[in-house]
Amino acid sequence: MRLLLVEDDPDLSLSLKRYLGKQGFAVDAVHNGVDAEFNGRETPYDAIVLDLGLPLRPGLEVLANWRNAEVTTPVLILTARDSWQEKVQGLQQGADDYLAKPFQQEELLARLQSLIRRNTKTVGNPLAVDGWILDEATQSVSRGGQRCELTGVEFRLLRYCMLHPGRILSKTRLTEHVYEQDADKDSNVIEVYIKRLREKLGKDIITTRRGQGYVFGKPI
Amino acid sequence: MTSLRIRLGLGLVISLVVMIGLLWLTVGISVRILMEEQLASRLAHDGESLLGGVTIDDAGQVSMDERRTLGIYQQPFSGHYFQIDIEGQIIYSRSLWDEVLPVPAVTFGETRLDFITGPQQQSLLLWTRGFRKHNRVVQIAVAEELDTLLAGMRSFKWRLAAWSLALLLLLLLIQRYIIVSSLRSVSAAAADVARLEQGDISALDERVPDEVRPLVTAINKLLQRQTQRLLRSREALGNLAHSIKTPLTVLQQLASEKIPANDADAHAQLQSYSRQINEQVGKSLRRARLAGDSLGVSHFDLRTDLPLLVDTLNRLHQDRKIVFQNQSGDLAQLPIEQQDGMELLGNLLDNAWKWAHSTVQLSVEHHTTWWICVEDDGPGIEAEARQQLAQRGMRQDENIPGYGIGLSIVKTLVEELGGTLEYGTSKTLGGLQVCITLVKYP
Repeated sequence: MRLLLVEDDPDLSLSLKRYLGKQGFAVDAVHNGVDAEFNGRETPYDAIVLDLGLPLRPGLEVLANWRNAEVTTPVLILTARDSWQEKVQGLQQGADDYLAKPFQQEELLARLQSLIRRNTKTVGNPLAVDGWILDEATQSVSRGGQRCELTGVEFRLLRYCMLHPGRILSKTRLTEHVYEQDADKDSNVIEVYIKRLREKLGKDIITTRRGQGYVFGKPI
Repeated sequence: MTSLRIRLGLGLVISLVVMIGLLWLTVGISVRILMEEQLASRLAHDGESLLGGVTIDDAGQVSMDERRTLGIYQQPFSGHYFQIDIEGQIIYSRSLWDEVLPVPAVTFGETRLDFITGPQQQSLLLWTRGFRKHNRVVQIAVAEELDTLLAGMRSFKWRLAAWSLALLLLLLLIQRYIIVSSLRSVSAAAADVARLEQGDISALDERVPDEVRPLVTAINKLLQRQTQRLLRSREALGNLAHSIKTPLTVLQQLASEKIPANDADAHAQLQSYSRQINEQVGKSLRRARLAGDSLGVSHFDLRTDLPLLVDTLNRLHQDRKIVFQNQSGDLAQLPIEQQDGMELLGNLLDNAWKWAHSTVQLSVEHHTTWWICVEDDGPGIEAEARQQLAQRGMRQDENIPGYGIGLSIVKTLVEELGGTLEYGTSKTLGGLQVCITLVKYP
């Protein structure tokens, strides 16, 4: 899951990036409205956390510009301005959720998870495909009595796959959604992780489509 | 007497009545004087020609040449009489028919005009003058009946009075029209003020007469300044919230990272304090953000603002499919400012959305006061807990099922807006019913 975090306070940004990273998100953090608009427009994020009081360009304007440019990424507004007038404005501008500061990290995580689920039309909690159930809290996956622990990257990759079952996922797409901006993006690494997931969950769980990518679970 | 219309109207009526009355009197008197002068000059004429008819022979015998007198003096009681006194010898006109006129004595050259009562109670104008003929003093008195003339005068005066009255009425009507039409723009401004209070308009129409315009302009300027001030202070409060709450969030994050997870006490304390700060700041900010009953601000619109709010709530609670019933009838607006209304209804409806199973209902009624009610089909609040809520402040309210922090905010808002808040059980939906009466707003 690749996430854009737009927050101008460096301490808060850093601490959120650390926390969300631990929860298996690849987080790109930007600190002003102009960078935010550019990144949000150019990179296919799975969700965006947007502060409203930003330097260079106000958050609401950034949001409006994304929506005008048909960027459909779900946006969660994270702001200290908690009046209903501002909530209504934010959501009418195209935001999908609104969280007022101060907040608990766990609440932000829960909101983000449900936002992403909603966006990928994956209903139900926990995430389940072909009998495999993903436990996001412990970053593990289980079927029947069988239980597999996952490493950070394995968890990210599996979660993205489970959110898009039966669809062709290219290596580039997987790389984009599993790694953050400044990470070393060697698409061959994805092959290594796919192989590891096959070892843990069984060979048939992921099918290779030559020249196209991978399909998780039964093809639609 | 504070009404301009009454004051102007009364002044104009009085001056018109006095003017028309004076006109009537002057015309009446002038016409009478003119007629009397006319009559007197005719009498003088007749007198002089009578003098020509008087002959005095050598024996001093006086006679009157009847041919020189008009026929009118021959008919008995014709209303035209003469009586000539030549040193004791008196010649009477035949019309006098043995009656005698009470002629005053005049000396030579003296002329008199008298009003007397003659034969058969006739009112007469008597012209008397002393002449000298053949060295004898001749006193000639000629009289003419006035009754016909007076009757004519009277009927003229009545006609004049009738016309004057008609003129007066016409002028009054014209003036009333002028007053009403010039005051119409003032009444329009007054109606504008009423619409301003209703929140239908945000400024007064400045197309008014020059005399009223400074007032209207001043009011508009004040309103504009007030709106700007509200806007600026809301902006500043937003910035203040931002500058307090972001560091507060950082503090919380840092604490949860740095304080060892097994130190539950430290975590709890930190949470409690930061919550207190947040609540206090939030409460003060919300209170400061209220516009209250300011004039010239736009009001919460049930047709445009409410659908936006409901849409927002549906987006915020996408996992819950809530049916919203709007029972506000034909009412277009709430009597409170737009953002105040957003805050009030936002918190009320958000609480209902959280707890409802499937249905939330908003009812608005306006009779002598405004009544706003939100009901849901959730678990509701038990009577005992409701009582506690009514007595207790805002703390610990989150522990009561069916009651969120939003309702504590509503409570503060309603108090600030000068209303009352009541909790009950919805008769139709079975869940919580929160009713607000806006006492201060008619």
